[in-house]
Amino acid sequence: MYLVANIDVEICAAKSCKLCTQYCPEANTIQYSEDMGRDKGFKYGSAYVAVDRCKGCAQCVWVCDNMAKNNAIKMIMIDQLPLAAVTDNIRYEEKTTVAVLSDPMIVVGN
Amino acid sequence: MSLDYVKFSGGFEKFMPKEYRDMVEHGPFGKKISVSQMGSFKEILEEHPMCAGCAMTLFIRLAIIAFPNPEDTITVGTAGCGRLAISQAAIPFVYGNYGDQNGVASGLSRGLRLRFGDKPKDVVVMAGDGGTADIGFQQVLHSWFRKERFTTIMLDNEVYGNTGGQESGMTNRGAVLKMAPLGKKFEKMDMLQMAKVAGCAYVATVVPNNPRRVESVIKKAVLIAREVGSTYIQAYTSCNIEYAIPTDKVMEDAKTVENDRYQFTEYVSDEAKQYLTERYGYKDYLPKPAASAAAIPNKA
Repeated sequence: MYLVANIDVEICAAKSCKLCTQYCPEANTIQYSEDMGRDKGFKYGSAYVAVDRCKGCAQCVWVCDNMAKNNAIKMIMIDQLPLAAVTDNIRYEEKTTVAVLSDPMIVVGN
Repeated sequence: MSLDYVKFSGGFEKFMPKEYRDMVEHGPFGKKISVSQMGSFKEILEEHPMCAGCAMTLFIRLAIIAFPNPEDTITVGTAGCGRLAISQAAIPFVYGNYGDQNGVASGLSRGLRLRFGDKPKDVVVMAGDGGTADIGFQQVLHSWFRKERFTTIMLDNEVYGNTGGQESGMTNRGAVLKMAPLGKKFEKMDMLQMAKVAGCAYVATVVPNNPRRVESVIKKAVLIAREVGSTYIQAYTSCNIEYAIPTDKVMEDAKTVENDRYQFTEYVSDEAKQYLTERYGYKDYLPKPAASAAAIPNKA
């Protein structure tokens, strides 16, 4: 098993600084959704991780903890993630993305 | 070299992978995109084999987003880590022999001008410190002396990261590396000064811990290179493997190095300032208002 980043939607949707989307070294790995968070009654959307692309470097954790001071991102073993986004289930819209969450173990195939 | 190449070939749409379809339908081609929108559009850069947490990868990702017209851009590179990512982007990439990237880019840039006339076609060289300052040094300097109109970006990781950690001209004095166990005996090359002496119209240093600044610097460099002359950007992109930086501390290291020896500097020639102001509406280079200028003697 290996570690991937996991973003706490409740913390992220309250702040929505989007710093992690700009500091992740991998393209289209930390994505942003206007719906995620708002559908739970929060003010903003939330960032989320496409776990099949995450290389587990934890740079986003440092950025979230030290630059944004939100502490919303933690590294978690991929088989312990409840539901997660994967590239195949992400849809692009005009100015946002929509992700249908699924069990990462089925999609990633471990 | 136009929006036509980011389309599906007739009848093939349903056979293309999801990433390709997303690129055609939601990519940044023909749109104005900025780093603040990252995470909500399909990026030109795809998955690549570079190491986890590599700052060079982050810089390349930001740089490609910053290209003013990605559909009219060609990147040129050479051996080194950077080409592993640059070649995985949906813009044409030319892989030169080791060290000849600025020679290749000179010919390419001249050829594109002959073929397309005034229509801007941007050539951007992205090579490592070894390719730019050591092995490609002669061709880099000559392209600057000839005032070739393209952008040279040095991805300065201060080591030959791809071949096991030999010292490069850009390694700092005293640095001990796996393949330089006695420590480097000479100073780091001052490529910024050389770029200015050689007549570059725009010279800047940047560290990827400030995405907006990276975006602004790259945009200016590419725009100036369209008409005014050579432009040079030197970016600190640490090698977390050879310098043993834990991946989650890469940005902390970038910040430390920025404060220590890689402060943001920007040199813009007078001609380039005028060009940016008149052609692209940059207000930073307008003459300062008379009132503030008059206030200085009073203070004295």
